Amino acid sequence: MKSAFCLRMHLVSVLSAALLAGAAVPAHAGLFGKDSPVPQWGLDAAKTPTPANIGDASAVILFDEYVEAIDGQGRAVEREREAIRILKPQARHEFCAVSYDVDEKINYFREWTLAADGKTFQAKDTDFVDVGAGEEDAVRDIPILLQTEKTRIVRPPAEDVGATILCESEELMAPWKREKVWNIQEGRFVYEALEIDLPPGSQFAESWHRYQPVKPVEDAPNHWRWEIKDMPRLDLRDVKASPAWDALAARMSVRWGDLAADGRDNQWRALGEWIEQLETNRPSPSPEISAKAQELTAGSSDFFAKLTAITAYIQKNIRYFVIERGIGGYQAHFASDIYRNRYGDCKDKTTLLISMLQAVGIRAHYLQVDSDRGVVDPDSPSLYSDHMITAIEIPSGFKDPRLQAVVTAKDGMRYLIFDPTDERTPVGNLPSYLQGGYGLLATGPSSQVIELPVLDPSANGSERSGKFTLAADGTLSGSVDTLNFGPQGAELRQFLKFTDEKERREYWESMVARDLPGVVLDSFQFVEPDSLAKPLEFHFKVTAHQYAHMAGPLLLVRPRVLGSAARYFDDKPRKVPFDLEATGRWHNSFDIALPTGYVVDETPDPVDLDMDFASYHASVTAKDNVLHYERTYTVRQVELPADRAADFRKFESTILSDEKGTAVLRKQ
Amino acid sequence: MRLHLLIRSAALLVIAAAPLALRAQFQDPTPEELKMTSDPKAPGAPAVYLYREEITEGANGLSTIYARIKVLTEKGKELASVEVPFLRGAAKVEKVEGRTIRPDGTIVPLNVKPEELVVAKGKHFQVDSIAFTLPDVEVGSILEYRLHIRFKDEAPLPSWELQTSYFIHKEHFFFDSGQMMSAAIGGIAAVTTPSDSPVKMQYKKSQSTVDLADVPQAPDEDWMPPTNTIRWRVEFFYTHADSIDHYWKRELNEWIYGLKDFIEPTGAIKKAAASLVSPDDTDEQKARKLYAAVMKLDNTDFSREKSEAERKKDKLKEILGADDVWKNQAGNGNQLALLYVALARAAGLKSWPMWIANRDREIFNSAYLSTSQLDDSLAIVSLGGKEIFLDPGQKDCPFGLLEWTHSLAGGIRDSATGPRIGQSPAMTYKQNAANYIAGLTVDADGNMQGSARVLLNGSDALHWRQQALENDVEEVKKQFIEDLEGDLPEGVTATFDHFVGLDDYESNLMAIVNLSGSIGTPTGKRMILPGLFFETRAKHPFVAQDKRTTPIDVHFPRLESDDVVYHLPPGYTVESAPHTADVTWPGSALLRINSAAKEDQLEVGRTFARNFTLLGPQDYSNLHDFYLKLAAADQQQIVLSRAAPPKGN
Repeated sequence: MKSAFCLRMHLVSVLSAALLAGAAVPAHAGLFGKDSPVPQWGLDAAKTPTPANIGDASAVILFDEYVEAIDGQGRAVEREREAIRILKPQARHEFCAVSYDVDEKINYFREWTLAADGKTFQAKDTDFVDVGAGEEDAVRDIPILLQTEKTRIVRPPAEDVGATILCESEELMAPWKREKVWNIQEGRFVYEALEIDLPPGSQFAESWHRYQPVKPVEDAPNHWRWEIKDMPRLDLRDVKASPAWDALAARMSVRWGDLAADGRDNQWRALGEWIEQLETNRPSPSPEISAKAQELTAGSSDFFAKLTAITAYIQKNIRYFVIERGIGGYQAHFASDIYRNRYGDCKDKTTLLISMLQAVGIRAHYLQVDSDRGVVDPDSPSLYSDHMITAIEIPSGFKDPRLQAVVTAKDGMRYLIFDPTDERTPVGNLPSYLQGGYGLLATGPSSQVIELPVLDPSANGSERSGKFTLAADGTLSGSVDTLNFGPQGAELRQFLKFTDEKERREYWESMVARDLPGVVLDSFQFVEPDSLAKPLEFHFKVTAHQYAHMAGPLLLVRPRVLGSAARYFDDKPRKVPFDLEATGRWHNSFDIALPTGYVVDETPDPVDLDMDFASYHASVTAKDNVLHYERTYTVRQVELPADRAADFRKFESTILSDEKGTAVLRKQ
Repeated sequence: MRLHLLIRSAALLVIAAAPLALRAQFQDPTPEELKMTSDPKAPGAPAVYLYREEITEGANGLSTIYARIKVLTEKGKELASVEVPFLRGAAKVEKVEGRTIRPDGTIVPLNVKPEELVVAKGKHFQVDSIAFTLPDVEVGSILEYRLHIRFKDEAPLPSWELQTSYFIHKEHFFFDSGQMMSAAIGGIAAVTTPSDSPVKMQYKKSQSTVDLADVPQAPDEDWMPPTNTIRWRVEFFYTHADSIDHYWKRELNEWIYGLKDFIEPTGAIKKAAASLVSPDDTDEQKARKLYAAVMKLDNTDFSREKSEAERKKDKLKEILGADDVWKNQAGNGNQLALLYVALARAAGLKSWPMWIANRDREIFNSAYLSTSQLDDSLAIVSLGGKEIFLDPGQKDCPFGLLEWTHSLAGGIRDSATGPRIGQSPAMTYKQNAANYIAGLTVDADGNMQGSARVLLNGSDALHWRQQALENDVEEVKKQFIEDLEGDLPEGVTATFDHFVGLDDYESNLMAIVNLSGSIGTPTGKRMILPGLFFETRAKHPFVAQDKRTTPIDVHFPRLESDDVVYHLPPGYTVESAPHTADVTWPGSALLRINSAAKEDQLEVGRTFARNFTLLGPQDYSNLHDFYLKLAAADQQQIVLSRAAPPKGN
């Protein structure tokens, strides 16, 4: 579970999605909806036949073209032309939309429909509506209040199966934007193109993610055009254990101005310098910040003690809250404001952390990452990401086993990677969703992309033990004690933070009921959930009626009382990697005292499976009328390549088989 | 429920004075408030309202909202963020004051200007919100804020939500309607809900006040009926009447008068009806034929309502009456329901319209003198002296069935004796049946191959048919499988084969599904199989929770039956099968399980009937007890024994 993360800092352009369908109500486009004839580009695009190989797509994008016209100051005007054919009824809610913020302006936005029966329509003022970003984000359940970005949506007339929707918009982009991210797999495209028109003498840099680079054509002096034909849609709906869509979908980034540089490393450097310049002076410690940092670290003897004092303060006292106005999607507030108000988003929390560390002589830097592993691609320099964390310089020679999330940069500098937005993962460790990803380390001229560490399994997981008594009528009762380590403990702590007593009880009852239908949670207790330095202790007592089932003279009981490690698997051909989510070690030990008069007739076979990416060991033993179940599940990697599908299936089916294993008790 | 008329006439309105309301001021915290770390009146609460106030001066066009909150846990900090939506142009937030009182008593004022954000903006409207978050909030803080909302004209009539997700120590709600011009032609009244709430309104001339202390957290449980029957609330409304009977008598007459032109059979409607039925048809045959004809029309609730430009281009008439619907061969659900009434009347049937409050949104309250609570239209037809409630506005709804939100729904209706308040009937469990029939062949390793036929009628069939109206059939198949797989044993994969009867709403809907995967767990001498294949992972409600404070709404009664034949692997025999079960909750629910073993197969049957829709909290004990037994019975297993290998010579 991710705790909280910043808004996706993607450069939003025109999108076609059903996300906001419910929010679209009659509204206006002002002067954007004036009657005008169907443009020739649209008539031409509509002649495109629907391709045969559309798969499950409910609509096909016949034509999609962006033109970015950059002026002498580097400011872009973006024009998009898009033709979408509706193929299935569920696509009737598709619409075109343009997002814009306070420092942007929609010059025009028009829509025409070429209906299936040959009639043509143009969207009127009343077919357009502006929706605030808060409404959009409410769908994603992110606690955002203050975000000024809006989206203009058009609800096309005559949007029936067979109709072709034509949209054209032009937007003056924010003056500070120097990158266009071209998402080329958001639908089933027949034809898509991107043009960039640069002032004489200007350079651009391009990078591609999960797609073989396409060579641009120079249509006119410094006017470049990329074209792609027949791009399939990336559909992950039926793909279990998949990496995030954004990590797998093809995209291209083109940058100009200060962000254009030659070569991968130079491009990352330019991006890092841009971030550092954007945040210049933001972390400067105010006297109050310096005083607080000194107060917090007074008496701290070493680097780690100082670090812990400050990170724990920020984790505990700075409330997560997003305030974004225009460039605020990228630029943090001043540390002094963040400290005074005691709230901020991920950039703000990082800024205050850098500030407080600076006040006690520790250097730290912005590290731009994505909350989904695989989105930041080391081979594809870009600002495309949604989260900001901190890279803290480790003093030369300092070693401490608690510093686990350590990266050594190209220049030999060691950095501790820390996410101050995650309020529950202690410094030294790293949330699982960040492990194995990449991030842009903004350290001025030495800015670079770095790989975030994958921690040893010992840094995450749980130790769970249970002692139960089984009655002859099948009722199981007993207690369970759990110690939760690392990110697993952090997720639990985060859950505790955002729930009250009633919600916790309901949640745990429903969780336990997955394994024990009809369970009653007799009691539960978390011990010192705020103490990040210790594993989170969780104790609970349960009673489950008819847990064991009578079968004639037999009593059937599942030794694996609680908890499941099995993931869904199927036999479908696999094209994308398996996301194993987190490394860790989970150990269960359950004792079930058997009812008087019953003896163990059969137990499931032991399991010992050791593979390079994970291992699973389980056994059931019976001694002195006690059935003992023990298992250890270890995950060593966060991702498995698609060509290891057979190994994944073997591993998961072994776990599933063990989890379903039944011991047979016989009446004496 | 209590109804009070604040102002009975325009004359009274003039007399009513509007003294300036007293508003709560920011208060210094008491030492007890500062020290408070938990609240014995709200154990475990993340925060509590120490005081909450809303004052509306109708004629002055001013509303103030004030809150004083004690934060007790981390979760309670969420109350520091405030967002108030308003209609731009009609209102503006004039002033926002706020402060955080730290646990040590020091005060941090709100010094960031609240942001005005666009929520939604159209040609004729703009909804904005004022949003702010209080600074320096920590556990133990007291949060205090006040907003002044200034309306361009008079303030709209308030709607008081008296319960929140947090315990409230004290709250004060005040409304002064004095001299509101908008009430000049009638009056303003208020209703408090639910009927058993302890809310007592105080009245003094044009002023209404509610003062409450120790207001519990609003209930939030699964399977609750709409919250207007649960949460304490006061709703103000304009009315021309001085009693409930008076109001509805006049409103009913106006409703029928307004519908007259729509449903009165015109020449075109009579002609249409005559073309659809035969004079020799029985009344029921006529009713069914007309129903089928209406069902064939384009129901724009399930397709798409045409824009003004499209209607113009297609020369479609603006719908003013049933004959326009017929001429356009299209209409929304309400228009089609009324068309049915018109056609039925034209065919000589006795038929009446009904206007109901949809049961998923609101329970009709006759003391709330407002038709704003009403949603959809139904048609009633009298056949052989018996009234049949029909739902022609629900595409693909079979004749005689109501979409579930339209069943047991209150509202207003016309009848042979004139218009009146009424309620649509409840459904029976037989109207909503799901039958799962499967044949599974299990091999010696526990792997299974098989197929299932899922036979649905009533609400379940209607759900999938309506999905098929808004999606292509491949999408519906995917959704069906996703829905089914959640209940199947882990390790089992379902693939969809085909539907039968998806296009024929009067028939049962059948889904054919292929099944495969691993279901058997072999041990040394035996193999264990899930006893109730389709219930292995069923998530039974009402099991975990042993107490209940609110009524239960399961939407509709239902009958489920499973019939699964396991073809056993060679060499295995049944050692133990699911026990015969016969669990009855008289009049409300029953569960029957039986099994029969033959040489190489085992057949397991299960029937579960739920013959209720709404229950009171007093019924919960029986409900909980029944579902506990159901959950336990559904977890039974099958034990197969492996025969000893034949002895060699």
